[in-house]
Amino acid sequence: MSDAAFPQVDAAPYAWPFDGAWSSADTALLLLGFQRQTVKLYDARAAVDHAAGVLAQCRTAGLTVVFSRQGRNGVLSPVAQRRGKVADPIPLRRSTAWQLVLEPLADEIIVDHRGDNAFYLTGLAETLRDRSIRNILVAGVPTDGLVHASMRAANDDGFECLAISDACRGTTMARHDAQLIITTFGNGLFGAVAPAATVISALSAYDKKDLLP
Amino acid sequence: MSHSDSIWPCSQPANRSAIALVIIDMQIDFCMPGGWIDQLGEDVSNTRSVIAPISRQLDFARAEGLVIAHTREGHQPDLSDLHTNKQWRTRVHGLGIGDRGATGRILVRGEPGWEIVPELAPLAGEIVIDKPGKSAFHATDLEQQLISRGVTHLVVTGVTSDCCVQSTIRDAFERGFECILLKDCTAAVETANHAATIEILEAYGGRWCRVMTAATFRAGLGGLNV
Repeated sequence: MSDAAFPQVDAAPYAWPFDGAWSSADTALLLLGFQRQTVKLYDARAAVDHAAGVLAQCRTAGLTVVFSRQGRNGVLSPVAQRRGKVADPIPLRRSTAWQLVLEPLADEIIVDHRGDNAFYLTGLAETLRDRSIRNILVAGVPTDGLVHASMRAANDDGFECLAISDACRGTTMARHDAQLIITTFGNGLFGAVAPAATVISALSAYDKKDLLP
Repeated sequence: MSHSDSIWPCSQPANRSAIALVIIDMQIDFCMPGGWIDQLGEDVSNTRSVIAPISRQLDFARAEGLVIAHTREGHQPDLSDLHTNKQWRTRVHGLGIGDRGATGRILVRGEPGWEIVPELAPLAGEIVIDKPGKSAFHATDLEQQLISRGVTHLVVTGVTSDCCVQSTIRDAFERGFECILLKDCTAAVETANHAATIEILEAYGGRWCRVMTAATFRAGLGGLNV
């Protein structure tokens, strides 16, 4: 099918993406750490529901979709040890706690990472560039951990990022709010922010005949 | 000193030379009247106020034999390492990266405004990292320079706390370095963003780093018997 092109998202602090153009060919949805343990620990069910709504629309429009899973193996890395000591443990790979709460389709990307950054030592930036991705929609948990660290890394790598505010959940609401304010400071030091309904509205506003075979 | 008294989040450094003082982006464009931020009409009193405390910390670290690492944010003169969205975001303010201002071309390597403030000038033999991004680990050899000197623990200072300092601490944590942030040696343009950054980084009793004053760090280091 052809690529679906979308209007700019009415985001803060600027209409996203900055250069106006985005499409199913150059944009990915990144779903970070929506795993059983983290969703339960941070009471993130509402964020999962918002993310699921965006995911459904991204699939209809043909965007690249990436799921990230935080996990450790049997040998505790220094980072995993320290996370355990501060009562924020990294789940063991293949345990129930580690499983995703949203189900990837066969052609979607799954990236496994050992800590708080889905781009660190995973090759994710290269994977996205190989697919000509320039723009990234970000959802996940927690806002002030995995989400923000990954968004900072993506931003340093030159990706144009938008955090979907209500499809993210912080370790507290105050940290969630503060981290998104920092994201948008300085005309978007780390990108833009918009709620799921606004993103879905833009994703829905393409010419449906573009998707005919 | 028992481990429970340790100033570090998890483990003690083996010796003083395993500790690096990291001074982030204390450049004229960020900290001084006449620099880039000042030319944008923003208040540099917060960022400028940490020059003296960092200078005292730098003197102490040099005397104690800590590794010293300075970073400078800046781009190649042809801007080949500048992402288009980063430049666009700064140009919205009227004077963007690469544009010519009162201190030369903004955040371009070799320009007057890009230089580290004279009070904190690096000495020969100290690590100096030129970084194109927010994190001092992004597209630099900082990690390798630290590892090759046997550094395992970082004491982080500089500007701005919500931006490059936070990115660098997050990336350092991810790479296995233990971090302390000296709260009287870091600042942001907006005080609220500074306070939120400190609260997030030290959540859960030191999720990404321990946060303390420079005086507490200097006193705590005395317990290290090496």
